[in-house]
Amino acid sequence: MFPLLAELAADPTTSMLLADSGDGAIGIAFPFVAGPAVFAAVYGGIYRYYRNTDKRHHFARETEVSVGNLDKRDSKVGTNNRQKSRTMNGDNSTDYLDRVHRIAVD
Amino acid sequence: MSVPPQDPQWARPNQPARPPAESGLGPAAHTGPQNDPAQGGPGRAVPPPRGDGGAVPPGTQSSDPRAVPPWPGEEGGEQGPTQMLGDESLGEAAQAALNDSRNRIIDTSSSSQDGLNKCPQCGSSDIQYSLSAKALVCAYCRHEWNEANAEQSFGLDSPIADLRGHTLASGTADIREDFTVMTLKCQGCGAEVVVNVDQELQARCHWCRQTLSVNTQIPNGAVPDAVLPFELTREQAIERIDEFAGKRKAFALGRFKAEFVPDNVMGVYIPYMVVDGNMHAVLGGTGEVTTRRYTVTTGSGDNRRSETYYDADVYRVQRAFDLLVDDLTVESAQRFNAHDNSNATNNILNAVQPYDTENAVAYNSNYLKNFTSERRDLNVRDVDDAVEDKFLAIARAKATPTIGRYDRGVRWEQEGVAVHGTRWISVYVPVWLYSYADSAKGEGSLVHYIAVNARNGNTMGSVPVSHPKIFAVACLAGTVAAAVGAVVGFGWFLAG
Repeated sequence: MFPLLAELAADPTTSMLLADSGDGAIGIAFPFVAGPAVFAAVYGGIYRYYRNTDKRHHFARETEVSVGNLDKRDSKVGTNNRQKSRTMNGDNSTDYLDRVHRIAVD
Repeated sequence: MSVPPQDPQWARPNQPARPPAESGLGPAAHTGPQNDPAQGGPGRAVPPPRGDGGAVPPGTQSSDPRAVPPWPGEEGGEQGPTQMLGDESLGEAAQAALNDSRNRIIDTSSSSQDGLNKCPQCGSSDIQYSLSAKALVCAYCRHEWNEANAEQSFGLDSPIADLRGHTLASGTADIREDFTVMTLKCQGCGAEVVVNVDQELQARCHWCRQTLSVNTQIPNGAVPDAVLPFELTREQAIERIDEFAGKRKAFALGRFKAEFVPDNVMGVYIPYMVVDGNMHAVLGGTGEVTTRRYTVTTGSGDNRRSETYYDADVYRVQRAFDLLVDDLTVESAQRFNAHDNSNATNNILNAVQPYDTENAVAYNSNYLKNFTSERRDLNVRDVDDAVEDKFLAIARAKATPTIGRYDRGVRWEQEGVAVHGTRWISVYVPVWLYSYADSAKGEGSLVHYIAVNARNGNTMGSVPVSHPKIFAVACLAGTVAAAVGAVVGFGWFLAG
């Protein structure tokens, strides 16, 4: 039953049909979205609590590090207006473990 | 910022001197260097040393910017069979490395010879580490003592800011996989005792019953520069493991619950490389600052919609700073690779860090008695890529407080570090380890660890789950949510 509901909820035509029939009709989608979402959250939450597959040593924060001679250079290069998202595209300021292009440093 | 080179030069430590060739102790003679990176395992990023044995003079760069500098002792430029270092000791090779101004090797080997490792008070060789006394204890005279702090006694505590080139403790020297058997001569009776150093570092003399120990830094990775002794007792570890598993019983696999015996916990020494680094980091990217937030309403009547938009200024962001990294740890046993959970839940061992490695003491084989220890099987060159990545990750983390004004975030696009100096030490760290493999799955089943950091008590584990039980509960919760959603949705529908 639930895979069927999940499939139905994931089907883009379902929401299109519902949307076409007015804002109130969106309410009909609630059970089809809420059910699978809670199922996935509960399953994933319990699994993670038991298996702890996401646990790692946060060396970037916990290693003793001294920082000095900070040189900050910020220059305005343009504007980016009428954006729908609250955050910028590609924000990776907290993704310490994802590497980007390496440059040579003297 | 100028266009960066595509293959930047990275500061990369030269290797410590290769250990000496066997002196009749190992099973077979060598014809070439062991653990050659050219024959290394998959995914090894470091290219092999120059195959022609040609030397790159210190201070010059090879044509391949990522090439590993030549081994100490390989200099000379003449083509021919690879020459192994002398039999006597590490000394000759270490001296060759010392001649390289970029490298400095610190000899951390014990001054004692292999064989009897005596109590400083009564001369007995029957010594073991006592968890209650937190010290080595002589079984005869009850004298208690600890070895000296490794950092202080070997001069490994000099300021990181003064590090230039690469300083390598002798315990980080390349390992030799074929070094498995060693003959110890008993100084008590003269008997010769063969020890399988792949498995143990001590043996009883079969004639006089004295305990014989491997005190020198044999080149099989089994002898580190320093040992961090156990602090938590076995009972304390069992209590923590019991508590951890006790909180995770409801959805645990039935066989795990039936077979769970926390008393089976083992004390294990796990090898780590501990790295200090003095470097300069540079980051470049783009940041955005919100200048205006506004709501736009479109349509009318039933089609009336409101949307929020953001205007932002875009900045080129650059940060450059010096970094002094103290005691960064990296696994140096392949089987405990934190990024490989295919055979065992290695991330658990990684997660119980940190260790107070600054309190590690000089190696003494008696610390390992009654515990198991995992041999180091990775060399400096095998882990230096991982260390570089960690340096970069630390640089990125440390830059975060400096970009607070960019409320829409920063997209880092370039990063790099110039490593002025590093210091490498091999250390055994203590873990109380409970491991469980599903008996029904037999060979090759995933090994689940519950580990306790034997210094600070950090506990983490992986408990095998019963998928049918989780599925049932998740279905129940999903059904309830769907029912609530149906009520709310129906109300929404009526209101709409």
